[in-house]
Amino acid sequence: MQTLKDRPFALIGVNVGGNAKNLKDVMTKEDVTWRTFADMGDAGQGAIAARWNLTSTPTLYVLDARGVIRHKWLGAPGAEALDAALETLIREAEADSEKAPK
Amino acid sequence: MRRVFAGPVILALSWSLLSAEVGGQDGPATPAEQYKALVKESQSRYDAAQKEAFKSVPKGGVLPDDERTALVGLAYRSKYEQAPKLVGLAERYPRDPVALDALTEAVWQVNTTPYPVEMVGRDPARPKAFELLRRDHIGSEKLGPLCERISYGFGAEYEPFLRDVLEKNPHKEVRAQACLALAHFLGNRSLKLDLVLGDPKQAREFADLYGEEYLERLRRQDRVKAAEEAEALLVRAMRDYGGDVKLPDGETVAEKAEPELFGLRHLAVGKTAPDIEGQDQDGVRFKLSDYRGKVVLIDFWSEV
Repeated sequence: MQTLKDRPFALIGVNVGGNAKNLKDVMTKEDVTWRTFADMGDAGQGAIAARWNLTSTPTLYVLDARGVIRHKWLGAPGAEALDAALETLIREAEADSEKAPK
Repeated sequence: MRRVFAGPVILALSWSLLSAEVGGQDGPATPAEQYKALVKESQSRYDAAQKEAFKSVPKGGVLPDDERTALVGLAYRSKYEQAPKLVGLAERYPRDPVALDALTEAVWQVNTTPYPVEMVGRDPARPKAFELLRRDHIGSEKLGPLCERISYGFGAEYEPFLRDVLEKNPHKEVRAQACLALAHFLGNRSLKLDLVLGDPKQAREFADLYGEEYLERLRRQDRVKAAEEAEALLVRAMRDYGGDVKLPDGETVAEKAEPELFGLRHLAVGKTAPDIEGQDQDGVRFKLSDYRGKVVLIDFWSEV
């Protein structure tokens, strides 16, 4: 992730079935360092998870720089598959921003 | 980034149906008694294995992840090992009401995410079980929950079975459930295939569990067409069963189908993601669309 620091990329979490009050504690415990939506819901599902038809965690989406869903994994993809997918899209975004007038 | 890969899997183990007493021991056991005995045997085998697994855990302690995973594997394994006996019972008494219960029980354990075959064992009874379900029970009014259950799975037998129920079952509520289940199954299977395509290890696990040939056929399938059929099935479910058919959980077909349709139309690859607005861990409001211009990886995670 370090290598992505200066590139057009963001990792956003959605904490599912948690309780926003202790989210920071949970994130410390789970070693989650990235910005995360608190999706409250005592019954195991908050409004975000419900809208996104979440069935299990982890579920991952990759959006391109225009906000279009380019990959979706109901489960953990292999590290290689994920890295390759991100690298391709980040390069695409970098190429686009170079083309755009400054 | 490791956290993403070590994520937990939510898996509902449903053992609650399985408390049964063995009947009287005089004379030959009736089919119902034999069924109860088999179910009881499954339960006690699982209980014993679970007790063994928890032995090393102090009271009130938490089971480490890998041990918990092994426990889930154990649940599958003991079910898979019992399944042929249940199928045998259903084959001996095809007209007894217990036959359908036995077949349902035999295929109830749906391997939603591929636990490796070395861990969970094979599921040798599945093809025969679905052969009997289609031959002897396709018109049953009790097939709804089974349709729903298998829609989360991947097995090759599920699709022809759901199509058969949708076409041949005389009960409207069952057809409605088969229609929803088939839509869900087709969409879900495509998504699971994405995991397979990206990861050789998972490809191996899927092939071991569900057959190389089946996987190869799916690799070649027309993804766009599958998505279109799933959408058409949901539209059909809304039109034919929408407001007036209530499902066992009290929801109408429309209430079930609408979020699924939303998913196909807005949460599929190629669609613009819906915006998310909410609070972060510090209580600061923000939006997903704040990150437009960047590639965004969204990680839905939960506490282990």
